[in-house]
Order: sequence, then structure tokens, then C-alpha cells
Amino acid sequence: MDTVRKQTVGGMSATQPRRGFSWYRLREQSMPYLLVAPLLILIGVFIYYPLFYSSYLSFFDWNFVRPDKDFVGWDNYTRLLDEPRFRRSLNATWIYIVALVPIQVFLPLGLALLLWPIRKSRMQGAYRVMLFSPTVIAFSVAAVMWLWIFNPLQGLLNHILIDFGYSRVNWLSDRDTAIWCVIIVATWKTIGFNLLLYLAALEAVPGDYIEAASLDGANHWQIMKSIRFPLITPTFFFVLVTTVISVNDDVFGAINVLTDGGPFESTTNIVYYLYQQGFRYFQIGAASAVSVIVFFATVLLTWVQFRFVEKHVHYG
Amino acid sequence: MNEISRRKLVGAGAAVAAGLGGITAASAAGANRSQPAVRAQGEKEEITFYHIWGTPPGGTPSDSKHPAEQLIEAFNAQSTTTQVNGQTPGNYFETLQKAQADMAAGNVPALVITPWSNIHYAVEGLGVVPLEEVGGDEFETVFGNVKENVRSLVQLDGQTVGMPFAFSCPIFYYNADILAEAGVDPDTMFATWESLTEGMKTVQGVLDGNPVIGISYNKDWPAQTIIQSNGGRVINDDGEFVVDSPESAEAMQTIADIDAAGLYDRGVSAELRPSFVGGSTAIFVGSVASLGGLIRDVPFTLGTSPFPTFGDKPRKASSGGSFIGVYAREDAQRAAAWEFLKFALSEEGYKIWMQTGYLNATTYDLPILEGQEAAYVQLDEGLTSETQWPGARAAEAQVTWGTYVERIWANDIGVEEGLQEAVSEVEAIIG
Repeated sequence: MDTVRKQTVGGMSATQPRRGFSWYRLREQSMPYLLVAPLLILIGVFIYYPLFYSSYLSFFDWNFVRPDKDFVGWDNYTRLLDEPRFRRSLNATWIYIVALVPIQVFLPLGLALLLWPIRKSRMQGAYRVMLFSPTVIAFSVAAVMWLWIFNPLQGLLNHILIDFGYSRVNWLSDRDTAIWCVIIVATWKTIGFNLLLYLAALEAVPGDYIEAASLDGANHWQIMKSIRFPLITPTFFFVLVTTVISVNDDVFGAINVLTDGGPFESTTNIVYYLYQQGFRYFQIGAASAVSVIVFFATVLLTWVQFRFVEKHVHYG
Repeated sequence: MNEISRRKLVGAGAAVAAGLGGITAASAAGANRSQPAVRAQGEKEEITFYHIWGTPPGGTPSDSKHPAEQLIEAFNAQSTTTQVNGQTPGNYFETLQKAQADMAAGNVPALVITPWSNIHYAVEGLGVVPLEEVGGDEFETVFGNVKENVRSLVQLDGQTVGMPFAFSCPIFYYNADILAEAGVDPDTMFATWESLTEGMKTVQGVLDGNPVIGISYNKDWPAQTIIQSNGGRVINDDGEFVVDSPESAEAMQTIADIDAAGLYDRGVSAELRPSFVGGSTAIFVGSVASLGGLIRDVPFTLGTSPFPTFGDKPRKASSGGSFIGVYAREDAQRAAAWEFLKFALSEEGYKIWMQTGYLNATTYDLPILEGQEAAYVQLDEGLTSETQWPGARAAEAQVTWGTYVERIWANDIGVEEGLQEAVSEVEAIIG
């Protein structure tokens, strides 16, 4: 098959004699490239150029404004290794990954399975709206509500605790609870998107399979285990990969608005550290070095998932 | 099928990862290039002034225009040569971010409000223009209206870096109704840290066990006043970070003890002011610049006090605030910026500005807001300059120290250990 394809590249056989120049043929051959060119240009300008430029800047001491960039070699990288604040941000980064990835992957799956049986009911639409609406609410707006809920002296959560005889908790200013507050808010904010993906995947499972299994006497659990879940594993895998990639971005808004990285930097993850370096401290070289590290760490994590998880995915 | 999906997903993953990796440069590349900062409008030279006063510091938007906007409008109405466009990108950090992004894009704002603590960075990193150069022969006449002890606060290497516009210091605010209910006399209570601690224990009795005192954001700022008032220093005359002295440790221990007694509100920045305004705490330490907003917002009788002292030791409060720096690169823009600064420093302009709650940095005899007396007591005693963090990583050093202050005060780390770690970490940053 490969051989045939190679021989017919450009719509003509490789054994045919060469013909003269033809505008028609040029147009035919160049059309696919022209059609994908806008997308390639956009990707190049907004993804690959920044990536390479960041890598370049990571070898300089610069603040975007000074006319001269000072070449510092690997200093921005070696400095990070000695930086206690960078190491602390790595700790928080791992906590977010370990805590949020299972939550963001499995909780929406569970909710989707609960909603699926009532798909014909109007209630499912109401649940979808309730669960998805946080995704589209601006963090600045949501933060007002969450700050009120978490307020240690006037907040809803502590009022409930005190009513039940418990003592007050400093939710956002205690290092043991603040990171979980960020995780809760980030989950609330992002769960709706993955839920929609799972619902769409369940919708796409052919009804024939379910019907045939039911006729053969399979119970609800057997259908779930042997038919539904295997058939939605491509979506499950997609959600897993994209969640691992984006989880530390997802918490950025909650960190920024609720804790500003505190208390005592305990909620500062690597993305927030990058933001602080670049846009609070104006250390563009150091921020670029962090971004390069984030890039390679993300590629590595993604590769691990493809290497060890993808083999369990059923592509149908 | 498997192969195709793998390729697609790898591609998608790589693309997203690349996007993550390129956050910094993407933001740089996408920095504001839409509008040139300089545009002609009729005969007037148009300049941009970035400031923070869309919302009063720590407060909520007011129905009336902020005095900063009133000042700009008054200037524009009387100037035949210059039109000032005031913009409020956000807080100090956000304002500097916006200014820096615009500078990187070639749209240099003529005037930017710049925190005093960033004075070194303004010179070394952002290229602020000394006012002697901007004002030329007029400089001495115009700056003759600035108090001598204030003038020195915005000078670096003998040059005036900016106009001392937002001049403030931290003071104590208290809920006079709660203190009266607790039967404590404010004058006695706020005299020393010892009497304050004792008084707060009494006040806690009428607060249902709530913490009594909240110390506002940027904790390195009040910490400087506390440390200095006990004979310590944050940065010495040689530019060394020296907070690990016995005097500093004793001062920091005072707040840690207040926390250990359950009197200190550990809430995050966004929570402290609402807790005070809502009557959940009784004392709030914040900038005198918050006075106008607090008078408007609180439903109780508001009192103010200077910082307590450590026994008989003199109080050495830290000044603070921000200066208007001239960053314009072109002569016409600089000349227009100077026109505005002249108006802002005139008696007419400064009278408008004084409605805010900031302190009078000039020699004009202007009325003060009720409650500002506490700040003027500290000013008359000789305000010291807010810590001017040296080097290109000044902001990082300030935030790092502020984090240690928070940790020590909240007993997250011991005083001695915290101060030693702070010195080690901050010294590594400022070099």
C-alpha cells in the first residue's frame, strides 16, 4: 500500500513521462498547502515562535525594556536549582497533579454515568447547566463568592462548622487547608467540561451492543464494565492526557484570586511561580527557563501516558 | 486506527505542551501593540498616565470620581498644551506590568505611578528620567514646594527619581464602639506594645473569641516600622539585609506572641479589611491612604492611632506610597509630562489630591482629614524611607521578606530560624 501511495503522489504515476508546466496542475498540487497554511501560520506564530523565543530568552538576563540583553548561559537554570522558592513550587505542583488529576478524570466520569440514565429527562439538561455554568463564569466573579464562603470570621463554611460545634478554620490562610481550597475551587470551575466530553462519549456508544448484551442476560454492571467503559476509553484517555497537561494551568485563577500563592507560598505551583518571575519580578530570562522546564516535563508526562496507558485504550 | 489516533493525540499534546512552555514569550509577543501611547489631539500633546486609583487602596469603587481623576480633569480643563489620559490597569504590580509591556512594545507611557520600594528598579530596569532633567530650570522652583524630609525619600544618587505624590504611612485603625464596649481607653491601650497586648485580651471578650487585630497586606511595610521602633534595621546603610539582629527578633517576637495568644487575624489580604469593616475584628493596621475609604465604609465610630512603642524607645515609622515617574522617551512627551507635574504640585492641584487621605508632602497649609492626626504624629517624629530594595530582583526580595514576616507572625516558623532563613534567601536574591 505504501508503495502505491508513493507512486501516485500528486495524482500522477511515477512511471509517467514528465510533462510541461501546467497552471492547473500547480493549482491542484498547491491547494492542500494553501488550505492548511493559515492554521500552520497561526500555530507557528502563536505556539512555536513563542516556544523557541522563550528557549532563546532563557539564556539571557533581560526585562523586556532594557535595550541590551545580557547573555548568562545556563545561569537562569542553575539558579533555579538553588532557589528554595522554586523547589517549594515544585512540591505544590505535584500535590495539584496527584490530587486533581484523579478528581478531574473520575469525578466527571461518575457524574456522567449518573446523568446518562436520565438522558431523556428534562432534569439532565438542568444538571448539565448547573455543572457546566461554573466553567463559563469569570474567576474574578466566582472569587467574590468563594472568598465569602471561606472567610474565617464571616464566611458560610465556618458558620456551618460553628453551628455544629466545631471550631473556626482559617481556610485560606492555613497552609494545611489553603491548597485544598484551591483544589476545590479549580474542580468546581473545570469539572463541567470533562463531564460534557464523557456524556458525548456515552451518547456515541452504539445502542445495538447494549441491546444485544441485555438480551444475553448481562446486568447493568456487566454492560458498564464490558461494553460502555471500553468504548469510551478513547475519551477517557483524552481527558487523562489533557488534564495532566492543563491541571497546573487550571488552578492558576484560583491561586491568583484566592491566595495569591500563599499562605507562605504553599499554594504557589510552577505556573504561578513562572508568572511571578516574569510579570511581578520582571525576570524574563528566569521565567523563560521555567517555561522550558515546564515544556519538557509536560512532554515527558505525556510520553509516559502514551507508553503505559494507551495500550489499554479500545479504539473500536 | 490506533496509529492515526496516536499521531493526532501526540500532535495535540505537543501543541498544548508547547503552548504551556511558551507562556512567557507568548505574552510578550502578544503584548499590547494596538494603540500608540502618543497621539496628537488638536494642538495638545497627549500623554498617558498609568495610576492605581480606579479603586481606593483596599476599598471599593466610589460613586464620585477619585481625586486622581479629578486632578487630571482639572489639569486638562486649564491646559492649552497638554492632554493627560489617565488609565488604571490595577494595583501597583499590575500597573508596572502594563507599563512594562507597553514599553516593550514601544508604546512608552509618559507617566507611571511607581511604588517607592521599586525606586532602584525604576532607575536601573525601566529607565525613569530624573526630574532635574525633565524640569530643567523650573525644577528647583517647583520642587521648592515639597517638604525637605519628603524630598529626600525620592532621591537616589543625588537625583530626584519622581514626584512624591502618594505619600503615606501605616497607622492603627480601631473600632471605637467595640473598645468602648470592652471598657478600654484607646490612648492607654495603644501607648506601648505591652499595653496593646493586654488591652486586646480584654477586647477579645466582646468579640466572641475572634482575633482582635488584622495587619494589612504588604506585611513587610508595617514590619519595618515595628523593627525600627525597637532599634533594628531591615537594610543598613551599606545595602545589607540585616533583620537577624536581636532587636529585630524581639520586635518580631512581639507579634508572634500576639498570634500565639489568639489575638492576631491570620486571614489573607482580601479577608482582613472586610473582617474589620464588618465588626468581626476591632483593630486594623493599614495605610493612612485607606482612611477616606474606611470612613465611608464602616458602620461604626472609627478611631486612629500611631503605632505603639516598645517601652520608652522612640517610634520610627516607615513612610510609603508611590511617586510619579517620568518614563517618556521623547522631548515633547517629557515637556508635556512636566506640565502635568507642575500642576499636580501646585496648591490648586495638591488641594484636589489631598481629599484622598494621603499625607501632605508639600509646604502648603492644607486641611487634613479627621483621623490623619495619627499619621502626622509619625511624620513629625521623622518618617524613615520605605525599604528601597536594591538590584534588578528588588520586587522578588521584597515579596520573599514579606513571606517570612507572615510566617513568623503566624508562628509558622520560629523567630530566630525565620529571620536567619530570610537573610540567607534575601541576600541570595539581592546579591
